[in-house]
Amino acid sequence: MRAKLTSLTDAISAVKDGDVVALGGNTLHRGPCAAVHELVRQGRRGLEVVKTAGAYDVDLLCATGVARAVSAGFVGFETPFGMAPGYRRAVEDGAVEAKEHACYTVIAGLRAAIQGVPFMPVAGMVGSDVLAARGFKSIADPYTGVEVVTAPALIPDVTIIHVQEADAEGNARILGTRFEDVLMAQAARRVVVMAERIVDGAAFEATPETVAIPGFMVAAVVEAPGGAWPCSCAGFYDYDEEYLASYVTASRDADTLARFVEAHVLMPETAGVSG
Amino acid sequence: MTSRGHESISGTVEPEGSPSFGPAEMMAVVLARLIRDGETVFHGVASPLPMVAILLAKRLHAPNCVYLGIAGGVDPRPERLPASTVGPELLAGTRSLVTLTDLFDLAARGRLDTAFLSGAQIDAGGRINLSVVGDFARPKVRLPGGAGSAALMPSARRTILWRTKHDRRSFVDQLDFVTAAGNVDRVVTPLCVLRSVDGRLEVESIHPQVLSEDLVAATGFRIEAGSETPVTPAPTAQELALLADVDPDGVRRSEFASSSVGGG
Repeated sequence: MRAKLTSLTDAISAVKDGDVVALGGNTLHRGPCAAVHELVRQGRRGLEVVKTAGAYDVDLLCATGVARAVSAGFVGFETPFGMAPGYRRAVEDGAVEAKEHACYTVIAGLRAAIQGVPFMPVAGMVGSDVLAARGFKSIADPYTGVEVVTAPALIPDVTIIHVQEADAEGNARILGTRFEDVLMAQAARRVVVMAERIVDGAAFEATPETVAIPGFMVAAVVEAPGGAWPCSCAGFYDYDEEYLASYVTASRDADTLARFVEAHVLMPETAGVSG
Repeated sequence: MTSRGHESISGTVEPEGSPSFGPAEMMAVVLARLIRDGETVFHGVASPLPMVAILLAKRLHAPNCVYLGIAGGVDPRPERLPASTVGPELLAGTRSLVTLTDLFDLAARGRLDTAFLSGAQIDAGGRINLSVVGDFARPKVRLPGGAGSAALMPSARRTILWRTKHDRRSFVDQLDFVTAAGNVDRVVTPLCVLRSVDGRLEVESIHPQVLSEDLVAATGFRIEAGSETPVTPAPTAQELALLADVDPDGVRRSEFASSSVGGG
């Protein structure tokens, strides 16, 4: 099989302005943050970010002008750090469109994409203003006539995930919680896998059932130790409490944030390195 | 905080002969009492109090409730309670894994008994807003979003809401936006327990030391409370001892200090 091992710079160069980009992980955990930093460094613009529940990754892309829209169920730093200030400011200023979902409609949209159908019926949602605000339409079940809410297919141009182990062909193992990474990979036109370590794929032959994503679905593989930082990466490191606290504080003000990004994201010697 | 009532119990309460407790202990214990033995129970992101309450209920009256969350552990036995309620700590001791998709699907087919959710605003119908203050397209305040709530509130068999602030900005007559609506059973706050009766929230019990006039004044929609209103039984010594054992680091108190909005 074709080897796909490449640099983070080259893998992210393939993301185009205006792409729909799905990010793996959930809130403070296993977000592909090294790739997010690289998107900021390369000055990508106009991205629509897809995530079930995001934090630092989504907030930074909004605060730095990379994202123009966010399709997500939740954007916040949870109890330790509170609301997402960069996302808030960008949406309140009109720079970013909050395409609010329930996490389940993100999942339903990804499932429609996975199954090659234009939309997916989804349970619940009744009584929510999200339906009208976002244009989620209901249809009559053709068999019973019962109304059901639908979500349109959500097809990422690129899905970027960070895993613990991958081989050079893109076979990817996720230790612990998989979040929506597998759905996002199956739904996407192109998949970039970052891994804490690249291993010999022969090692997967004894337990192929532990491989979450088959390599043939993956376009590029990047060795990225510390690639989820400042998020946690189960089995490797916890989230970086000190860094995230200082980021959230800095992100409350656009000028302070610009200096923070300059020091921590744009400077190549510190960027994307585990803290 | 506009609520004098909240201030009246924000300090530690020490009734004669009883162990001490504050609003975090009161809320954790009340939430735990609402959990039924044998049921499937879920919490999402940014949900420290439900996490503590479920683990406490399993030590009290509900050892067979099935604890489910976004981390995917089934009945985890965390050695350390995480401040992030999606953290890998919530995989410790689990013998199987589910995905978030599995959990939404479980609710969709009517098999999720109880979901713990919250709202930045809650109205008299038990509907919640986690989306915006002001206009949806150009909001005055963009809130985090409802996470799973719009899907879960109508499909879980019941929803228990919690909110660590009980004031007129949180309990409103008119939501700015209805993020989710559905099968709300109870709402637990630092002041009281509200119960949904025919689709409208009523005071079920008022917490010890809270004055009924303060509760009414802190609530933006019409509720009735007076001398006839039952008082929520204070946490027992056993409940407080097990709570301290389940949550030795006091993660239950973290929501009271955070700008975070409890999640779904």
